[in-house]
Amino acid sequence: MMTAIILFCSCEKQEEEGTFQFDNPELAFELPAGFPALNNAFYANKPTQYAVELGERLFNEPKFSGNNTISCGSCHNPNHAFADNKPRAIGINDRVGLRNTPPIQNMAFMQFYNWDGNILELEKQPLVPIITHEEMNSSILEVIAKLEQVPAYRDLFWKAFGDPEITPERIYRSIAQYEYTLVSANSKYDRIKRQEGEQFTETEAEGYRLFQQKCASCHATELFTDQSFRNVGFPANSDTQEAGRARVTGLPADYMQFRVPSLRNIVYTAPYGSFGQFATLRDVLDYFDKGVSDAANLDPLLKANGNRIPLNENEKEAILSFLETLSDEEFVGQ
Amino acid sequence: MKNLKNYLTLSVCTLALAACSKNEDNPVANNLELQFNNTFKEQTIVLGGANASSATKNTSAQGQVHHFSELKYVLSNIRLIKADGGEIPYNINDLDKGATVIDQAKASTLRYVLSNVPAGAYKQLKFGLGVKTELNTLDQLRFPAFYNTAGANDTKMMWEWGTGYRFTKIEGFYDTDSKPLSIHTGSTVAGSEGNQTQGVDAYREITLDLATQAQVGATAPRITIKADFDKLLSGKTNTITLSTGTSQSDNATPNIHTAVQMLKFVDNLGGNGVNDLSGIFSVSQVEN
Ligand code: HEC
Ligand code: HEC
Repeated sequence: MMTAIILFCSCEKQEEEGTFQFDNPELAFELPAGFPALNNAFYANKPTQYAVELGERLFNEPKFSGNNTISCGSCHNPNHAFADNKPRAIGINDRVGLRNTPPIQNMAFMQFYNWDGNILELEKQPLVPIITHEEMNSSILEVIAKLEQVPAYRDLFWKAFGDPEITPERIYRSIAQYEYTLVSANSKYDRIKRQEGEQFTETEAEGYRLFQQKCASCHATELFTDQSFRNVGFPANSDTQEAGRARVTGLPADYMQFRVPSLRNIVYTAPYGSFGQFATLRDVLDYFDKGVSDAANLDPLLKANGNRIPLNENEKEAILSFLETLSDEEFVGQ
Repeated sequence: MKNLKNYLTLSVCTLALAACSKNEDNPVANNLELQFNNTFKEQTIVLGGANASSATKNTSAQGQVHHFSELKYVLSNIRLIKADGGEIPYNINDLDKGATVIDQAKASTLRYVLSNVPAGAYKQLKFGLGVKTELNTLDQLRFPAFYNTAGANDTKMMWEWGTGYRFTKIEGFYDTDSKPLSIHTGSTVAGSEGNQTQGVDAYREITLDLATQAQVGATAPRITIKADFDKLLSGKTNTITLSTGTSQSDNATPNIHTAVQMLKFVDNLGGNGVNDLSGIFSVSQVEN
């Protein structure tokens, strides 16, 4: 009797292994011209066909939250370039988080994640929202237990990793692979740069000129961020958990410094600032023009300019129309 | 067949039991108990809300009255040093078996029993206040028990955003008008394995000499450790004045929820690792 069971088991296993061919091809990953270097973590977790497919499904899986209501996509909405339109993130049971939801785009090229850069590898990021009380309020084992109840995941994990086991590592890696594929590099600006026949309007061209003069020292490179941390004197978040970059480093010099945000798809990601202080892009420009809050570590570029970036109404209009050329309609599905 | 199996099991057990009783006079291992006494100077702390008259009040070197409503800290990486210098690590790489949350509100957590400690005389105790960086990753799969203890709703010893544990969590009140104080510590270290590239390490190693050696053998010794929270504000490294909205070198805000100003408290609690290796901790008694 015992022997029969053992034989039966091993037969079945052989059969499964026999029919299953593990073949999960790496996806082609194009580096847009002029983009900065890839994060090293990318090379250890290159996007593959089935892990990306799995990652996308996990990204949109509400079972990640304690009460099955919130997925990553609830806050990171593709129509808003994977950001949302709320000042601060709203998670499970309408709980309000500390910060504004940033877009998820061109992550493969970033060396620091989050407003304060506390995460250095994308694979280490998904656990944070899963366990955060104001976001998904769950735990990785709770998530895995739920996914194990869904037969489709067995197949998806099998195809992606060669066997159906669901592990924390596989979840993190597949989500990161999916995020690596979210590259936005097809805005009007890009097409003009690539000389595909389009032209800036006169106002856009004037805006670009002003942008290079007044903004590009921080919003630099083709990502429109130099990925440095700076205090530009935006109205401060008084929550005791907020200290900007200094939350991580503890250094007074880093107090309320934030990673310079990319301005790609900026039109879709209102409101603006680390906790959504500004409803519109115009509000941001008005604030820079009127003068920012002073601070001991206010960025030297602003200090040298009397704590402001002076802009007249025409200049604001021009910059705003330039910023619109950074919209990648295809990326946001419009 | 079944009977035979039972019979065999029985006899194996009997043999094992026989072996036990034979060694009782001279066991190869026994328990060692750590008992924590959280104090303000010599007075054991009684927790209490903003206006609780029963709460133990303390006055800092700078004259600030304060008391606590919540007091928790994490111990891990426990090592016992034998009289001959040999070091006995106690599940140092297993948070489920070798780490604990001391919670002043739960009397049972103030006693931590190390089991199966090899018999012998011990002259020194070392432990970590907090969790060393390699293990400080909120790895629920690897250490589910400790993860659940630390994450429980009435404990909240996690810094979710830093994917690490809180090492200490102190809530309380200060000054005559009972303003809230809230001191949390934890590490924000990040970087590839063994290669810290950013962040602050709040883990501290404590070394305590045992004036009376602990004798593990026929009996299980108990070491009583005093944790004197008077030193939180009036420490060996920093004399702290709590004040809102200043950044003078000796002052600190009463709300420490980030790495900012945190090390002042960390160094007072767990020592600065240079000339203070004991922080708030001292051995008050060894019972053999
Ligand atoms: C409740 C809303 C919410 C949910 C749910 C959520 N996020 Fe986020 N996400 C945020 C916020 C807010 C931030 C910024 C956090 C910070 O700076 O501390 C962020 C940051 C990020 C970043 C870094 C982006 C950058 O520009 O550096 C990534 C990547 C990300 N989230 C992915 C995810 C994934 C994957 C999930 C699901 C497992 C998820 N998020 C769930 C709100 C959310
Ligand atoms: C000294 C560096 C610097 C300069 C110059 C600068 N910025 Fe920024 N910008 C930043 C930083 C840093 C932030 C994030 C600050 C924060 O949230 O506290 C930011 C935020 C923004 C935001 C909000 C983005 C979001 O996703 O919330 C916009 C829009 C913006 N900048 C546009 C501009 C424009 C347009 C100019 C030129 C007129 C400009 N910036 C000049 C550093 C700079």
